[in-house]
Amino acid sequence: MLEIKNASKVYGEGEGRVVALDDVSLQIEKGGFVSITGPSGSGKSTLLNIIGGLERLSAGEIILDGGRIDNLSEDAFVEIRRGKIAYVFQQYHLLQSLTALENVLLPLVFQSRNGHSERALELLKRVGLEKRVHHRPSELSGGEQQRVAIARALVTAPSLILADEPTGNMDRKTGDEIIGLFDELNREGHTIVMVTHNPEIAAHTRETIALQDGRVVQRIQNGGR
Amino acid sequence: MKLYQIVLKDILRRKRRVLYAALGVVIGTMTVVGVLTIAFAGENSVYKQLEKYGANLTIVPAVNSIDAKLGSLSLGTLAVGENYIQESYLPKIREITDGEIRQARSIYGDGPIATIAPRLYENTDVRGVSVIVAGIQPEDERAIKTWWQVRDGDYLKTDTDAIIGSRTAELLALKVGDLIPLNGATVTVVGILDETGSSEDYQVMVPLATLQKAFNKEGLLSTVDIRALCNACPVDLIATSINQNIPGIKAIAVKQIANTEMDLVKKVNTLMISLAGITLVIGVFGVVNTMMTSVHERTRDIGIMRAVGASRRQIIMAFMYEAFVIGVIGGLIGYGGGTLLAYGIGPLIFEGASISFLPEFIPLSLGVAVAVAAVATLYPAVRATRIKIADAFRSL
Repeated sequence: MLEIKNASKVYGEGEGRVVALDDVSLQIEKGGFVSITGPSGSGKSTLLNIIGGLERLSAGEIILDGGRIDNLSEDAFVEIRRGKIAYVFQQYHLLQSLTALENVLLPLVFQSRNGHSERALELLKRVGLEKRVHHRPSELSGGEQQRVAIARALVTAPSLILADEPTGNMDRKTGDEIIGLFDELNREGHTIVMVTHNPEIAAHTRETIALQDGRVVQRIQNGGR
Repeated sequence: MKLYQIVLKDILRRKRRVLYAALGVVIGTMTVVGVLTIAFAGENSVYKQLEKYGANLTIVPAVNSIDAKLGSLSLGTLAVGENYIQESYLPKIREITDGEIRQARSIYGDGPIATIAPRLYENTDVRGVSVIVAGIQPEDERAIKTWWQVRDGDYLKTDTDAIIGSRTAELLALKVGDLIPLNGATVTVVGILDETGSSEDYQVMVPLATLQKAFNKEGLLSTVDIRALCNACPVDLIATSINQNIPGIKAIAVKQIANTEMDLVKKVNTLMISLAGITLVIGVFGVVNTMMTSVHERTRDIGIMRAVGASRRQIIMAFMYEAFVIGVIGGLIGYGGGTLLAYGIGPLIFEGASISFLPEFIPLSLGVAVAVAAVATLYPAVRATRIKIADAFRSL
């Protein structure tokens, strides 16, 4: 469902020129649960940002559900974010002035879809936060905030969930819980691409793509979950 | 949940920031409202002074002076012409006056506009002293002489009533209830006027018809005073038109002094309004600056909203809602501040000007404030949406 063809990303020019992605090609099937790993500066976050349209490719193509998305205008990409792709970030990126429930409803606000509180409540229940729906992010723990962010990602029923170091700010136990939640969501049919520098976490996914210096150096099928 | 609700929740969380942003708007609107309130009071105080001039126009019989000569011997000058105005000219005078006012002020309809007060003067002897008696239309005269105050007794009511000037009462030792002979008829003093400082202090005023009848001067008038009842009425045009269209009378506009004074006030006001305009522009830059900071602080929030599907237009819209709130808050505070400013400074600029609370400036104040806030917010907001989402997350 997701195909990346000869993707390159170059920052800066001349002396300061940095190649973040160097001719990367890969495919991710529907229902996949893929981790992208690598050391800092290997280009793993850049790859994720490029898939999600947060950054632009220097060269190459990205095809999602049969259509090219790398050449869409900013305004056209809005539609992709509204239905096909959702994000989960390391820093959670919740709006501090809104409650957990309101944060989950936020993507629908921009689509002028009102009501749906029940769906949002259901999703909060799904991520185990039914007792924290009216709390603000500042009143929630890191793990809880990430659960809100996951519920927010699910509310638009996206084809693809992109997670950038979702457990990066958590202790091991909380991190394992979040990975467990992603695993469950994957079993329910969600396609997930996750960036992590932690090999143990990567081992929980079905497939691991290892990057180094902007190139794919290894693809591992993680069996026996 | 709607976009504006998200904005409101955000504003409530950042109350102090929003108030700070409103401060620039407050300064701008405060100056505009303050200056306009002072300007308004200044013009008003001049208008009030103008009212003391009473009539805007006076009509007198046309009298030509010619040199009387017998051969080469000069016999001085002779007045030639009618000494009276025909009362039958009054409808024509009204037609011309109201017509010019309608045209100048684009007023439609046909009710009377100007106040027209005819007068007839005669002499009579009271206790051996000759006194000028003025025949007046009581209601019209009162409308022109707004400063008339009846000191003792009442104003004219019946045909046989008379009111007298304060000096007349003093010099002739007349009181309310005394009788005044009028060429065979008699009128009763019903009231004494407060001192006016004009020639009326030495006169006796009776109803016009009473005087005309007593002296067999039916249909005749000595002068006609016209008050156009508007401060920008074309009195010169009215005078010219009357002089051209009605023979035997002469209309004189009496507002030259007023004009000079009004011009001065207008110049001062223009200067103040320009200064207010400059302050407003500076205010806009101040608000732009605050909004830049305010928008910058929320770069991350903008990134979040765009990552979950907000379009650029929606982001700009969100900031416009915020600008609206800032504008309304700033406009209300600015209105209050401007009025206080006017109370403080107004009397220093226009001596004796009474500053009044002008609620009609509230919509103006709100309009200016919201416009300033919106203009100042638009640029930072548009700029903020140009930032790449990934950069928005990196920036903080």
